[in-house]
Amino acid sequence: MKTKGKPSPILALTSAALSLPAFAVTQPVETELSIMTSSYKEGDIPAHKVLTGSDERYEIDIHQFHVLTPMGRNWGFSFNTSRETMSGASPQGTVEGLDGQPALIMSGATIRESRTEIGATTHRYFDNGYMGIGMSHSQENDYEADAVILSGEWDFNQKLATLAVGLSYSSDVIEPTDALLFGRVEKENKHSGSFTIGWTQVLNKTSVLQSGISLTKHDGYLADPYKLRDVRPDERSEWAVSLRYRRYAEKSNGAWHLDYRYYEDDFGVHSHTLQTAWHQNLGASFQIVPSVRYYSQREADFYLPFDDFTLPLTVNQSSDYRLSTYGAFTFGLKGIVNHNNWAITASFDRYISAKKYGLSDSEFEHPALVNFTLASIGFDIRF
Amino acid sequence: MNRLILVMILLGLSSCQSVQPWERGALARPEMQLEVGKLGSALYRQVYFSKEASSGGSEVAGAGCGCN
Repeated sequence: MKTKGKPSPILALTSAALSLPAFAVTQPVETELSIMTSSYKEGDIPAHKVLTGSDERYEIDIHQFHVLTPMGRNWGFSFNTSRETMSGASPQGTVEGLDGQPALIMSGATIRESRTEIGATTHRYFDNGYMGIGMSHSQENDYEADAVILSGEWDFNQKLATLAVGLSYSSDVIEPTDALLFGRVEKENKHSGSFTIGWTQVLNKTSVLQSGISLTKHDGYLADPYKLRDVRPDERSEWAVSLRYRRYAEKSNGAWHLDYRYYEDDFGVHSHTLQTAWHQNLGASFQIVPSVRYYSQREADFYLPFDDFTLPLTVNQSSDYRLSTYGAFTFGLKGIVNHNNWAITASFDRYISAKKYGLSDSEFEHPALVNFTLASIGFDIRF
Repeated sequence: MNRLILVMILLGLSSCQSVQPWERGALARPEMQLEVGKLGSALYRQVYFSKEASSGGSEVAGAGCGCN
């Protein structure tokens, strides 16, 4: 017989197991190890849009490794590394073609390079949250970045709400290849500081909402030294607000994810990102996850569809496609096989972008807007 | 836009219910986490960071790259 207002012993045991906060990071109880390998491939640019150089875009092979392990009663340690090897050509400039549309000047030879990133983080866990400090280092033949990250989370209201705060600082150095040969800058620095605050709230037994704000400030050399003419301000302030909603549907045995982000910076760029996914469980061991992401951005104030070589070098201008007006869709499908303490994940994503998909309007579409496919396979194990 | 986001947050928080610890089974499921798959999430962030003008929102930045 149940006593009103007092949980049964079974319920008490269940509650002990589930009294861990649903969303705050807790000390790991076992070691988690993950590896993933991915292939990223951009579609070639139509030949009629290329004035000079190669029409072959980037292909990147990515290998990632992550391990998280408990240390003592209150500490945890994680280490991650990734290695990217890439080849392909990249846009160096845009000029007006014979048809009045932008035409691309691409890098002539295939670029081959690699990037290695390593990072380590340690966490000190408390009854109602944790604090962590991490460092990471990224190395390319012409670019080096070091970052330190401080983070913390605190639970409130019987662990129904979590406050998360993060701070990061990154110091980057760029030394372009063939600087003297092509008149590029020889060595420049960039510094970035970022602050993030988020509030995660359990709404009811099946749904949760997280809202977050991030502020980032960059200063130093923010241009692309490999472009023929790219002059940008030496400071950039960015802010973004995000919402992430999760809802579990018991009847369907699946979970709905809905994410939104609004971004704005003082380059004049603002963007909307909307992403949704459905995580469908199929029995106890399989899961399938279709997803759609929509992205739209407005061009930077100093974006030009054609490089203007008559402007003095003190006037900001860039024909970088990443600063142009466009919209993009990503269609994704992921499958997961779970078995006791291990899981295999395979995913495929297709990204397409065009001016016509954007919410803002502009006269010209940038010819280097990228389409890519991303295929990954990963393995996770706990022990 | 800022007002719309604020209204959405307030609407969400105003609908909060008290959820007892033994009622949090669905919330603790792996597919209900804010980020599912650490390596996959990191990869998506890196790809979008290098191909779009926007970044940030819910995560602090790590080391950057000279992505072209």
